[in-house]
Amino acid sequence: MRRIFEIGGEEREFWLSHDGRGYALHEGARQYSAALTPAEGKGAYVLEYEGRRIPLRLAVGDGATFIHLNGRAWEVGVIDPAERLAGAGAGAGGDVVLAPMPGVVVSVAVQPGDAVVEGQPILVIESMKLETTLTAPRGGRVAEIGFGPGESFGLKAVLARLAPEEG
Amino acid sequence: MRRFQSRIDTNAADYKENYAAMTARLAEFHARQHAARYERPQRDLDRLARQNKLGVRERLKLLLDPGTPFLEFSTLAACREYDGEVPGAGVVTGIGIVQGREVAIHANDASVKGGAWYPLSAKKIIRLLDVALENRLPVVHICDSAGGFLPLQRGVFPDRYLGGRVFRNQVQLSKMGVPQIAVVGGHCTAGGAYVPALSDYNVIIEGTGAIFLGGPPLVKAATGEEVGVQELGGAVMHTSVSGTADYRASSEQHAFSLAREIVGQWKRPAKTVIETAPIEDPFYDPKELYGIIPKDRKTNFDMREIIARIVDGSRFHEYQPDYGTTIVCGFAHIWGYKVGILANNGVLFNDSSLKSAHFMQLCNQNRTPLVFFQNITGYMVGRQYEERGITKDGAKMLMAQGGSVVPKFTVIANASFGAGNYGMCGRAWDARTLFMWPQAEIGVMGAEQAANTLADVKIRQLMREGKTLTEAEIAAIREPVLESYKRDIEAYTSTSELWDDGILDPVDTRNALGMSISAALNAPIETPPHYGIFRM
Amino acid sequence: MRKISRLLIANRGEIAARVARTAKARGLEVAVLRHAAEEAGPAHAIADQVVTIEGPTPVAAYLDIPQIVAAARKAGADAVHPGYGFLSENAAFVRALDAAGLIFVGPTAEVIDLMGDKVRARAFVAERGFPVAPSAIEDDDPASFIARSRAVGYPLLIKPSAGGGGKGMRIVREDSLLAAEIETARREGQRYFGDGRLFVERYIERPRHIEVQVMGDGRGNVVHFWERECSIQRRFQKIVEETPSPALSPAQRLEICETAAGIARAVNYRGAGTVEFIYAQDGGFYFLEMNTRLQVEHPVTEMVTGFDLVAEQLRIAEGEGLSTGQADIRQHGHSIELRICAEDAAADFRPAIGKILLLDEPRGEGVRVDSGILEGGRVTADFDPMLAKLIVHGGNRAEAIARARAAVRDYVILGVTTNTGYLDAILAHPAFAAGNVSTGFLAEEAETLTAPGEDMREALIAAAALSDQWLLYEVGQISEIHRRMGAWRN
Repeated sequence: MRRIFEIGGEEREFWLSHDGRGYALHEGARQYSAALTPAEGKGAYVLEYEGRRIPLRLAVGDGATFIHLNGRAWEVGVIDPAERLAGAGAGAGGDVVLAPMPGVVVSVAVQPGDAVVEGQPILVIESMKLETTLTAPRGGRVAEIGFGPGESFGLKAVLARLAPEEG
Repeated sequence: MRRFQSRIDTNAADYKENYAAMTARLAEFHARQHAARYERPQRDLDRLARQNKLGVRERLKLLLDPGTPFLEFSTLAACREYDGEVPGAGVVTGIGIVQGREVAIHANDASVKGGAWYPLSAKKIIRLLDVALENRLPVVHICDSAGGFLPLQRGVFPDRYLGGRVFRNQVQLSKMGVPQIAVVGGHCTAGGAYVPALSDYNVIIEGTGAIFLGGPPLVKAATGEEVGVQELGGAVMHTSVSGTADYRASSEQHAFSLAREIVGQWKRPAKTVIETAPIEDPFYDPKELYGIIPKDRKTNFDMREIIARIVDGSRFHEYQPDYGTTIVCGFAHIWGYKVGILANNGVLFNDSSLKSAHFMQLCNQNRTPLVFFQNITGYMVGRQYEERGITKDGAKMLMAQGGSVVPKFTVIANASFGAGNYGMCGRAWDARTLFMWPQAEIGVMGAEQAANTLADVKIRQLMREGKTLTEAEIAAIREPVLESYKRDIEAYTSTSELWDDGILDPVDTRNALGMSISAALNAPIETPPHYGIFRM
Repeated sequence: MRKISRLLIANRGEIAARVARTAKARGLEVAVLRHAAEEAGPAHAIADQVVTIEGPTPVAAYLDIPQIVAAARKAGADAVHPGYGFLSENAAFVRALDAAGLIFVGPTAEVIDLMGDKVRARAFVAERGFPVAPSAIEDDDPASFIARSRAVGYPLLIKPSAGGGGKGMRIVREDSLLAAEIETARREGQRYFGDGRLFVERYIERPRHIEVQVMGDGRGNVVHFWERECSIQRRFQKIVEETPSPALSPAQRLEICETAAGIARAVNYRGAGTVEFIYAQDGGFYFLEMNTRLQVEHPVTEMVTGFDLVAEQLRIAEGEGLSTGQADIRQHGHSIELRICAEDAAADFRPAIGKILLLDEPRGEGVRVDSGILEGGRVTADFDPMLAKLIVHGGNRAEAIARARAAVRDYVILGVTTNTGYLDAILAHPAFAAGNVSTGFLAEEAETLTAPGEDMREALIAAAALSDQWLLYEVGQISEIHRRMGAWRN
């Protein structure tokens, strides 16, 4: 119900409500009544906004809505705050690559000191007749590789460790 | 439906006096509610900040759909217990809207004694889960509790309606197919650990959330093992090793955003269909209730004037307007929902009891929820009435009321005394919600009668011992009894003890009923209605 | 006389479509090119055949002479129209086509060679008595270059001999800076063009850019189609062009146009060309360069003269000669062209990319759109940011401005940032209305022209919110009672 809108580098958070008759946009304690009605023409609408009737053309893109209004085109970035929070969560991935099951290391793709990005393969293990590639849980620098090729390990063994994040 | 024609003169002196008296009462009420919600010792607020945790009210804000109502229950629970140091019994409960869905919310308030469960905390949580069971409302648990308050453990733990009942109700909900989600934003220790574990979904906040049967100190004492909170029951462990928790959140914001997404996955229940009409605001200003409710509890007033300021369009169809006139029965709409209303306009007599019983059967027959407005001092007593079978007619009313299959809602608008409380769907009679107005009183009888009865017993005993008492001595016996009894029948005592779901500002009654009725329609209405034996 | 039956257009975007339209109207079959990484444009829809070209980048493919010649062969074309840019002024390309027996719609390789070398072109023009700004050419005597530069007088402009598009140009106002600036310009010339040779010329303060459309049949007949004013430039690139120039008196107009025709005549020019002049505030004008191709802004000339310049090019290429004599070429009314570019005028004209989600071009009396884009197409950084040209015609300048404003405000391109709002701001500027501009106008008025205007942010946000279907769905999930109760608390 909440969205972050971005225009010209400025972000503002709004939420939308519908009181059974019409919509209202809320920003903090401020409230704006608004309605959008289709009009004649491709992507044409009339925006009723705070007592004004504003004809406009509109196209919804990926992550942004483009609006032609009053002779000019604008880009309004539309962000679901949940996406941003989920993104923040991804950065909180652990520092270690744990063995999901006992097995043997087949190959190691990085060395201590290497910079890795999230999802980059760290090592390949074999277990239960199946090779599995284990990847970096987050971006960072490799601090330690626990086992070399051919070495076997137990469940939850620390196969690799990333250097702690600074700050 | 015709509009009720009010006879209230808003310029009359008594109206104005009533209005002033109610306004003063409400100022106190709102101040007490505000204090119970927000005023905490600084050290408790500091501790929350230090732990990097949000307060329970901020958490609710993150959880609920913006711009939607939240019907909070029993804000002043425990206000007359534990020296007033456990505001709200340390729990926030209520019905709110998440992704358009009505949910029952149980949220620990860690700013009160670390969210520890007191006896009344358990009672409040169990009441909320009963509301969920009766109305089949999904539940959101926000867990952040130190566990049972040990010094009072005998009032928290063992009995049928104490701690264990919380988990028993969770199991029953799950069995009924009603989903639950827990957001673990603090510790869930011992029994509390079962709240997330028994929820269909749970989210745990990294850093602050932890779940364990025994915390680190208990583990050390029991087995000598030394282990930290995070390793023992932290978010990473539970989401990646034990599987006790489902989703790991990096922050409170993330946790509630996830919780909202999860609730958004739930099936929207097909609500029970009852008669509805387009929603209409009351024609008469609900604020006028303040001038209508007498400043003296004992002054009678026309309950129709109250109804007119709560129902849609102030429209009311009265049933049997000329029979059994001490009870007003009739149909109206509240937030569009058709309801059958019973409201006291005096003592219940034989005819008013019979009329009530008949009317309730009508409502059950056509699936119309019942709303009771109590202003009842009791059923009429005396030889004449007993001979006419007042007890038998009262029993018919109880049989009809207690046997009703439609949801019932009760507002104790003024007096709630004696068996009248039963007939008018008091707490024991499974009203889906029951609210009290701040000036209302509840007890087995009125304060004066009770004080006199108690004093008489004492005086007779003394007289039997051959003592004679002066007027002053009689008063000295009577006054303390009267004072203590008066306090016991006040709305604040009722709400402290959770005999109700909260005190309402009268103007909030319409919304509270609307929320309650809408929530109740998540559960089916059993058909056809059937009753026990009516004593004829 | 050699009739063309199939024409390959060795270009893309709006010009490919524009050339194709005239060619088709003349009964020619048309082949166009397309690189794998390139979106289909209007030209691909018009053409009879599309030949796929390859290369590490699309631009490299369009510049690949052997490949283009092979494409012409493959298409069975007997002539190639180069459009503008790419290989349009590449003498090697012309020679390759000649060798392959294909007609090049344009001048001879020799003329291209001559005019492509700024230093030689300038000397050629000056020798024949046409006006050029005081200048010094390093190559004439490198040892005395600084002394001769000083003699040109300040302010002066240092230019790379091999330059173009404004790259590597430096203005020097003080003698003390001259030596250092020359060295800087040399390094830049070396870097951009692989050629560090320089020349300097007098820098004209607040100059206007006026150019003349000429056309010759290669047999000595040369006519002009009057002037165009192109002073509205950002980063030395034109974005608004018009004709007639508001700066010229009828006598000056005749003089400048005949000068241009004289220069073209001196090289026995064949095809369409443009002679560019610097026009000083005192009315003096100096030869700048000659472009041996069709210009981007040629449509304004077509709008006021009524001639189809591409048709004339094709006639000349076929040996048919010009369709008209000088006496029949007259200016009627006024025309303005606006270059619609995918760029952010408020962010220093940073090129913009995106997908064209909605395209609705303006229509109406006196409005012409030469477009290179289609709805659904993707705008990438592979090519020049110009997407289309909006050309209007009016009975007089004021009417043309009014029509241009109405049309550009009606030009709906959604999905990629364009300069339409900025172009409207230029048209609305009082100095533009008064015709009182110079090539520095856009830089001088940058703040006014990119001013945000009325704050419509909240209305825009409202529109964005109410077109977010998921948001509406979510809000729609809230039942009426709870919506209407709002954020009630007991």
